[in-house]
Amino acid sequence: MASCVVDYEGRLTAHLPLANRVIILKSDGSLLVHADTGFKALNWMAPPCTLTEASPGEEDGTLVWRITNKADDQLTITIHEILSDVEHELGEEPGLRKDGVEAHLQELLAEKLAPLGQGWELVRREYPTPIGPVDLMCRDEHGRSVAVEIKRRGEIDGVEQLTRYLELLNRDPLLAPVEGVFAAQEIKPQARTLATDRGIRCLTLDYDELRGLPSDVLRLF
Amino acid sequence: MKIRVEQSELSDACSWTTRTLPARPTIPVLAGVRIGAEEGGLHLATFDMETAAKVHVDAVVDEPGTVVVSGRLLADIAKALPKQPVELTLEGSRLSLRCGRSSFGLPTMPVEEYPELPAFPVEAGSLPGSEFGVAIAQVAVAASRDDTLPVLTGIRVELEGDTITMAATDRYRLAVRRLAWSPDDTSISRQVLVKGKQLADLGRTLGEGDSVSLSLGDPESGLIGFSSPDREVVTRLLHGDFPDYRRLLPKDSQTVAETDREELIESVKRVKLVAAERTTPIRLTFSDDEVLLRAGAGDDASASESLECSVSGDPIEIAFNPDYLLDGLQSIPNEKVTLAFTEPRKPAVLSDGPDYQYLLMPMRLGN
Repeated sequence: MASCVVDYEGRLTAHLPLANRVIILKSDGSLLVHADTGFKALNWMAPPCTLTEASPGEEDGTLVWRITNKADDQLTITIHEILSDVEHELGEEPGLRKDGVEAHLQELLAEKLAPLGQGWELVRREYPTPIGPVDLMCRDEHGRSVAVEIKRRGEIDGVEQLTRYLELLNRDPLLAPVEGVFAAQEIKPQARTLATDRGIRCLTLDYDELRGLPSDVLRLF
Repeated sequence: MKIRVEQSELSDACSWTTRTLPARPTIPVLAGVRIGAEEGGLHLATFDMETAAKVHVDAVVDEPGTVVVSGRLLADIAKALPKQPVELTLEGSRLSLRCGRSSFGLPTMPVEEYPELPAFPVEAGSLPGSEFGVAIAQVAVAASRDDTLPVLTGIRVELEGDTITMAATDRYRLAVRRLAWSPDDTSISRQVLVKGKQLADLGRTLGEGDSVSLSLGDPESGLIGFSSPDREVVTRLLHGDFPDYRRLLPKDSQTVAETDREELIESVKRVKLVAAERTTPIRLTFSDDEVLLRAGAGDDASASESLECSVSGDPIEIAFNPDYLLDGLQSIPNEKVTLAFTEPRKPAVLSDGPDYQYLLMPMRLGN
């Protein structure tokens, strides 16, 4: 933590006047400058980059850090006063594990197609199309093809994605007509409107129920 | 087109028809209200491709014609105008509205782009409007608001001879209401599923008339219509199999309690104040001519209240979602309410007679 002035020169120039900030230097060379508010850094430099420390008293501040990356962007931090300087080794990061990720939803829905409709059959998961795989390809109770796109949060771009798959899938005379189902834990009103307009059915998924977690709430059926 | 109409009538007609306007119209013209002026008056119509509403308004028509203008804007203007006659004139591609010293000009939308309203189905019978309105509200309260299971957003309407049975459930509660009607064909036997939101909207507004006609298309058309002398609504039926709700209704009960409905509502509202979350249960203990209501426990805020209540059968302790309990209590029109229980984990039935039942699933009892 230091009171510092930050200057960035590269694709654009930016200047942060003298103020107290948090400067984070990570083991891989990443450098971030944070203010007391907001989750985003005010300025940052992604690795690989090199840090050179100029000797104190050479310029106005007590210490000058120059960080340069391959593209020759330069971040200059002129430190006037060091408020706190700590160094810790954090060790290995196990990585973020998301609950309710799309892959798991896909897996669960593929096992039990009941939320989609009675008498549905799975053709396969990750059904290939020329522009990438569609999450599930199913046959409904009448044997018609249905492509299912699964998202955690159903937004407009998900509907667009499914629309593109459907357009290509419908060119296959052996599959056509292919209907679409847009399934998500939560579907945004705009996405729902767009999907409905394109004849795509929206389905809200209950993750806990798919996982078979005992619900705290009793139900009539 | 040139017409004169009373402000209050125009305002009522606008606010009624525009309630079905889509919030996000995919075809811009659907955000409009179609105004048609013909001999003897004018009609306003809206259609969101699922529900079409049409209202007749008495007016002096100097020059007939049809225009489409923004429904929301027209409704807002009509409501705000002074209580004087309003003159609507089509001037080129703009509709001018004059009332007292106010004057508005609205751009019109192309009439030929406005979709054809679905043909009104054949009348199947009629029933008293106010009673129908109440019945719809009593049932719609239990319809699901999220569409995980689309059939549960609907209200099942069963027409069997001279009885209509309506039912809705969101899997936590079930409301069933029976009422008499006058079918044109007494041997009628039809079951349809109508969107709960649509029917609830309708019940609130169509019910003011003396008599409401119910119309049904042939099963393939998938349409149902409701009309009062000057208003008509036609909506697309929902598809899907409604659960066999009759098997959910308990056949007998171990405990039956009867109490003053208003007092119980007030008590529940007070005790529920400490329920931190929407899903915090309220516990009811029925014993010895009283019911004890409690909510909250441990370090959190807690509340309790007792109420006189005639109890027959075994004492019982049972917990409910307070909002669902209130929904049920508020749907019963009488002074007294009867609550029937079998077990703390089995559904309870709130009723005030044979015509209305509100089945409510309890919550798990904490310690």
